[in-house]
Amino acid sequence: MSNRSIANTAFVFLSRLATGICGFILVFLIGVIVWNGMNSMNIQFLLSEASNFGASGGILYQIVGSLLLVVMASVLVMPVAIGTALFKSEYITSPALFRLSSILIYSLNGIPSVTFGIFGLIFFVNILGTGISWFVGSIILAMMMLPTIVLTTYQSVNSIPSSYRENAYALGLNKWQVIVKVLLPQSFHGAVTGLLIALARAIGETAPIMFIATAFSGITVPGSLFDPVVSLPTHILALAQQATNEAALQNAWGSSLVLLSLVLVFSVSALLSRLRLKEISQR
Amino acid sequence: MRISRLYIAGSAIVSAIIVLLIFVTLIVNSSAAVAANGFHLFTYEWNPAKDQFGVLPMIFGSGAVTIIALCLAVPIGLMAAIFTSEILNPMWRAPVKSVLEILAGIPSIIYGLIGIAFFSVWVGDLFDLQSGRTILTAGLLLAIMILPTIITLCDDALHNVPQKYRETAAGLALYKYEIVKDVLLPIAKADINGAVLLALGRALGETMAVMLVIGSIDRVPEPFYNALSAGQTITSKLGREVAESAFGSVHFSALIFMSLLLVAITVSLTSLTQFYFKQEQRLVE
Repeated sequence: MSNRSIANTAFVFLSRLATGICGFILVFLIGVIVWNGMNSMNIQFLLSEASNFGASGGILYQIVGSLLLVVMASVLVMPVAIGTALFKSEYITSPALFRLSSILIYSLNGIPSVTFGIFGLIFFVNILGTGISWFVGSIILAMMMLPTIVLTTYQSVNSIPSSYRENAYALGLNKWQVIVKVLLPQSFHGAVTGLLIALARAIGETAPIMFIATAFSGITVPGSLFDPVVSLPTHILALAQQATNEAALQNAWGSSLVLLSLVLVFSVSALLSRLRLKEISQR
Repeated sequence: MRISRLYIAGSAIVSAIIVLLIFVTLIVNSSAAVAANGFHLFTYEWNPAKDQFGVLPMIFGSGAVTIIALCLAVPIGLMAAIFTSEILNPMWRAPVKSVLEILAGIPSIIYGLIGIAFFSVWVGDLFDLQSGRTILTAGLLLAIMILPTIITLCDDALHNVPQKYRETAAGLALYKYEIVKDVLLPIAKADINGAVLLALGRALGETMAVMLVIGSIDRVPEPFYNALSAGQTITSKLGREVAESAFGSVHFSALIFMSLLLVAITVSLTSLTQFYFKQEQRLVE
């Protein structure tokens, strides 16, 4: 065999080895979460209240709290995100303003999650005096979700062929009618895909909400928007910190499996929604 | 019509204000620490009781875990991407991508739990340490966390190289190794650099997983390359101490100062990434 052929064989072997390592890591991660999670999984666990600082009992209110946080965040973020995407796609005419808007959105995307939590703590909890609450947590999560949704919505609005707009204008529609009757229906799936991707990320976030939205125990369903909630990620954090307690760790695995399932529900829906998006754009 | 324009301009302005508000809040709240400590912020002693707020151990820790993570994840991730893009049957590419997306979506707190339950125990046993919560453990965990991002972006980078380059190179009787090394990698270089920068930004900003396994001790190890001792990153420091420090104190302000440093680094990295990806588009045309 020539040197070249040996180098090639070694190269192909190394890339197979690297892929093998990645495959092994994948199987290990999923295996560990599912195996350990299943051990503590039962109806009782899903439908009862946490007790004894989470070491016994279930996670019903943690699931409810997590969902409340992200649902409220979606309600807050969608109007702003769609408006911003439309502004970026349909209203900006100067290249400088366009570049500025891109920089701002990418900056927001690049801010680490813990910084969002600190910002919320300073601005809402301390300066505005809102206290630790569900509402503040949702506002901060909404801010984190904003860039993802703006970008996907922008892409789907912007990829609508200009013949659609021209035809609509020719029929005598004004700009707002074009947006409502033509652009929004055509780009609806883009916005939904963006929302689902953002939700999959937001529901697993711990750092942004741990200072500003959640209390550890003794809370069920928040009575108002300005009450604290409990959530799955912060519950796992609290349990992981008492890792020497076998029962707490067991419940942490159970909570992790539930959290991962919620993430998967959102990300698989995003995947399906994106496939449908592709189909539509190919028509 | 007027209301509609008001809505669209309004939401764009709200988005812009959010970004600016975050920066302004961080700058205003870190000014107290800068005024009180000046250049003493860049020293090695962190002791709020003695009014010492040196941030260098945390900067060192963030740098160290990120370097360990990149050194492990970039070679493995790039080789795996070469496999999925150039060697694997294209039929399998879509499922592989979906699985990678799922992996990238595992919340960081779950990585942290796995880190506490397995990695720190393994590192502790393997090197016979009292506690397995070390800089190395955090680096290992981070490497696994950024691996899917690196694979999927490098795979895209290689896959975007037009087919004609491969065909021409194969027509010259080059081996796969030579095609990848001499043809594909130079063309995809800008995108791969972008992928690494993006992963770097992710690794620097990662909080929960690192916080749980790094051991949280505010000093540079002795000697500095000893990755088997506990350390502290900017993010783990913030995660542990922000809730404990009083709002308005110099202690709090020093923490915000670190957060500002972190944001400045990650935001410029993300902007730089955009620059890299854009440059590549021009190259392909």
